[in-house]
Amino acid sequence: MSTGPYNYSYIFKYIIIGDMGVGKSCLLHQFTEKKFMADCPHTIGVEFGTRIIEVSGQKVKLQIWDTAGQERFRAVTRSYYRGAAGALMVYDITRRSTYNHLSSWLTDTRNLTNSSTVIFLIGNKCDLEGQRDVTYEEASKFAEENGLLFVEASAKTGDNVEEAFLETAKKIYQSIQDGRLDLNAAESGVQHKPSQPGRNNLSNDQQTNRDNCAC
Amino acid sequence: MLSIQQDVYNIVQAKFLAAEIVKSIHLNVSVVDGPLENNNRILTLVEYNKSFALFVLVSSRVQPISFSDLSIESVIPLDQNFSFETEPVRGQNYVILIIRYKQNRYEFKIEIGKESCNFAAEIIHAKEVSLNSSTNFTWLEKYFGTMNQTNKNSNSSINDQNDFVIIRDGMAQGQASINRESMLKYQLKLREPEFTQKQEFTIFVGTWNVNGQPPTASLKSWLSCVETPPDLYAIGFQEIDLSKEAFIFNDTPREAEWQKSVMDGIHPNAKYRLVALSRLVGMQLAVIVNNQHYQYVKNVSMDTVGTGLLGKMGNKGGVAVRLELHNTSLCFVNCHLAAHVDEFERRNQDYKDINARMNFRRNPQAIKDHEQVYWLGDLNYRITDLTNLQVKTLLQRNEVTTLLRSDQLNQQRERGNVLLDYVEGDIAFHPTYKFDLNSDIYDTSEKARPPAWTDRILWRGKGIHQVHYKSHMELKISDHKPVSALFKSEISVVDQNRYRRVHEDLLKKMDKHENEFLPQVTVDQNEVVFNSVKFREPQSREIIIANTGVVPADFEFINKLNESTYCKDWLRIVPYCGSINPGEKCDVRLEVNLETDLDNIDDILILHLKGGKDMFITVSGSCQKSCFTQSLSTLVRIQVPIMHSKKEDFNSARNNQSPILYSVPRELWLLVDHLYRHGLKTRDLFESSALHEELIRIRDWLDYGSQDPLPGTPQAVAETLVLLLSYIKEPVIPFELQDVCIAAASNFQNCRQLLIQKLNDIHRTTFIYICMFLQELVKHSNDNGYEPKTLASLFGDILLRDQIRNAKPQASRGKANFVYNFLVNDLSSSLIPK
Repeated sequence: MSTGPYNYSYIFKYIIIGDMGVGKSCLLHQFTEKKFMADCPHTIGVEFGTRIIEVSGQKVKLQIWDTAGQERFRAVTRSYYRGAAGALMVYDITRRSTYNHLSSWLTDTRNLTNSSTVIFLIGNKCDLEGQRDVTYEEASKFAEENGLLFVEASAKTGDNVEEAFLETAKKIYQSIQDGRLDLNAAESGVQHKPSQPGRNNLSNDQQTNRDNCAC
Repeated sequence: MLSIQQDVYNIVQAKFLAAEIVKSIHLNVSVVDGPLENNNRILTLVEYNKSFALFVLVSSRVQPISFSDLSIESVIPLDQNFSFETEPVRGQNYVILIIRYKQNRYEFKIEIGKESCNFAAEIIHAKEVSLNSSTNFTWLEKYFGTMNQTNKNSNSSINDQNDFVIIRDGMAQGQASINRESMLKYQLKLREPEFTQKQEFTIFVGTWNVNGQPPTASLKSWLSCVETPPDLYAIGFQEIDLSKEAFIFNDTPREAEWQKSVMDGIHPNAKYRLVALSRLVGMQLAVIVNNQHYQYVKNVSMDTVGTGLLGKMGNKGGVAVRLELHNTSLCFVNCHLAAHVDEFERRNQDYKDINARMNFRRNPQAIKDHEQVYWLGDLNYRITDLTNLQVKTLLQRNEVTTLLRSDQLNQQRERGNVLLDYVEGDIAFHPTYKFDLNSDIYDTSEKARPPAWTDRILWRGKGIHQVHYKSHMELKISDHKPVSALFKSEISVVDQNRYRRVHEDLLKKMDKHENEFLPQVTVDQNEVVFNSVKFREPQSREIIIANTGVVPADFEFINKLNESTYCKDWLRIVPYCGSINPGEKCDVRLEVNLETDLDNIDDILILHLKGGKDMFITVSGSCQKSCFTQSLSTLVRIQVPIMHSKKEDFNSARNNQSPILYSVPRELWLLVDHLYRHGLKTRDLFESSALHEELIRIRDWLDYGSQDPLPGTPQAVAETLVLLLSYIKEPVIPFELQDVCIAAASNFQNCRQLLIQKLNDIHRTTFIYICMFLQELVKHSNDNGYEPKTLASLFGDILLRDQIRNAKPQASRGKANFVYNFLVNDLSSSLIPK
């Protein structure tokens, strides 16, 4: 029996963003449960998942926030970007509109996260080759122009799902290693020690009770 | 570099980040004064961006096969506080490496050789580089959390008080993850059969009391008496040195001599390595393993217990070695129990003491907790109730079985006093004590001690099969004969592939578990829609939050980014936080109460679960217009009741684009006119609180218009008047004028001037209109009981309403004074616009 360390030394916060119906929750589910969730309901809110992975021999706990994609929630979901070490930006290769909206998602990400946040572009539903609406080449070019990591993945078959999450972690780890990511900064999205999930900007202690509240 | 060293080097490098370069390592380092087994330290020199640090790594295996076998014991930065020196030890092939860091001192034993010279040279070089560049040691911080607490504690030579080398075990790893670790270990043990198979290993156990003699004879006839080389040897001696020096200082040259003799005597057809050598005064136990199994030996630990003089000296007692061979824990105990025929109870006690006090400082800690225990030594139990002659006669007749009935150990074991659950093989050999030296003749001295089976080997545990159990008469240098036992023992051997699968599977399950243990709730509706929300007519909807998870869920509605409240001011959430047990529900009431002019209501609530997800609940609805929330300037531009006004007309009125139709709002006139006619003599007109429905009826009468007379009592109408003045978009005396009005309140002329110069016609007319009505009331004060002061105080807060309700209660007096002027002075026509 190996006596290796089972505990984790880092927590990385991820967010998953992108238009409604591109498969964000399915990607999360595939990654945490290794299963495809058919008939996944729209996320109304922010789902939360965790998994412990190993990066360069270090155990890392990923805290993944899967956000609602509907446009009407956009203003609210912006609250969740802060403090993300990794952002998985997802579009659906069979729906061009979801690809066209990427620049707006990217703008949000750039504005609301810090410069060392790793942004990974995922073209989901690559199992539906017949319905492809966005070519690999153009997305790849978009990613390159904007300095994003990129894969096409399928939450259904699991293709490249693991890779996207792990590559992001590796990249974050690299940033820590290179000193580009300041671990002491509250917004780095990386923590040394485990704690309950929580966000800087929505912390409960900032809550102001209204005068007319019966509580 | 040797290939073994290269392998270890790669494993050590894997422990660090790629940019943290392992410059040099030194293997097989032991801690001075530490237990002997601790030659499992690896000194490692690491560079990161021209800053160097020395890491003391502890390997859980004799030779690590994965970086996970290594734990970091200490981290010592090579800065100006660092210094080191070496101290030779006369007549030894090792030196003491002394490292100082601030007030701390570390001492290690390292073997003299090329490796140590190179290593020392690297440290000197590193220190020079470190000092010549501005170095930053922040990269070390992350390693403080990975340092191994267990190893730290068992290592006496390293000072825990170091201010740089901090132990951060508890800090870096929360309670939850510690549970996770023990859970994983537990689960792995449960599923052990899935990834292990039993394999038979031959274990040769030998014991010999050498009576203080030096090893002058070859041990081959004893240790190599079996045809096939055993997989593992456990060889115990007693009385290797009977000198006072050995007793007092626990130091003897005999240790090395006997150990060499053992290494020379073990089976020549295989290569062996010493795993551990444990000694206390004259008791010595060596565990030696066939080279091919060396890498599967791990977590070696040892301890000694003295039970001799004063109950603790090392002339009697036990020495033990524990280890894990593959996946089976083994413990070997070599003991020398109290002497003399009558002292069997003392021997029983020694046995108990050894068990109670032997502590390996790692799990399992006690002898009894090991899967296999081999107990050997000079147990010193004698033959009772028989004379020397009787014993010898029985032996001559070879009636060993008869004689064994008088063996104290057998008797005491039968009574359950010692070695209770141990097994001993059948004894077919003659007593191994006491012989005349260099002979096979039992004691012929004056004492003429009767022969006894003092030297024994027993075992405990599953899957152990004894192959032989015998004495070795050929060795005559002691008054005891050596005894040996060969075992075929079943050892659990891990199939690495299957282990990895099970391990992965468990990790996956635990991740899944962790996700399942997140709080989970569902809400019955994510969208709450209200229909035609009306002014001050609260509506409520219930949402049901159901805990569908397995842990209690603490929920709370939380603020959105850049917002200071968790919902808009027209909404109330009861309760806004709470805790729901698994399987239970909580009804949350969302109550809308409209007091401002809105076309629609719209809000997204964030329902946050502590330690879990957030859900969004959208609240929306359309609102019905009402005169109560409009501005005076809108109202005077609307000809018909507000609900009948056409959208375009209403919008242009709202934008002040249509002509002014009334000098005061129609609705205001209707209310005041009603009170003129029906309320002037009503006592306490403004003080009784009307029924809510009554107010709603009046509101609708005003908003919709009707042929019917104004419903409600004069008090209800009066309250409606107060409401109208309180909720109109801008108070009659606008916010920005209130301060100057209050300042001018002591002088009527000044107040009058302000009114004329600053107030627009609509507001001024309305103000005067209200005041004239109040003066009319005062005229009937005999009936209604209202004095100007009372009315001024009541209407001051209404006509000069605060921007945020009741924000400045201290201003009430000034407001009342201002209004008072207009209740007691003549409101000449000059105030009314022409």
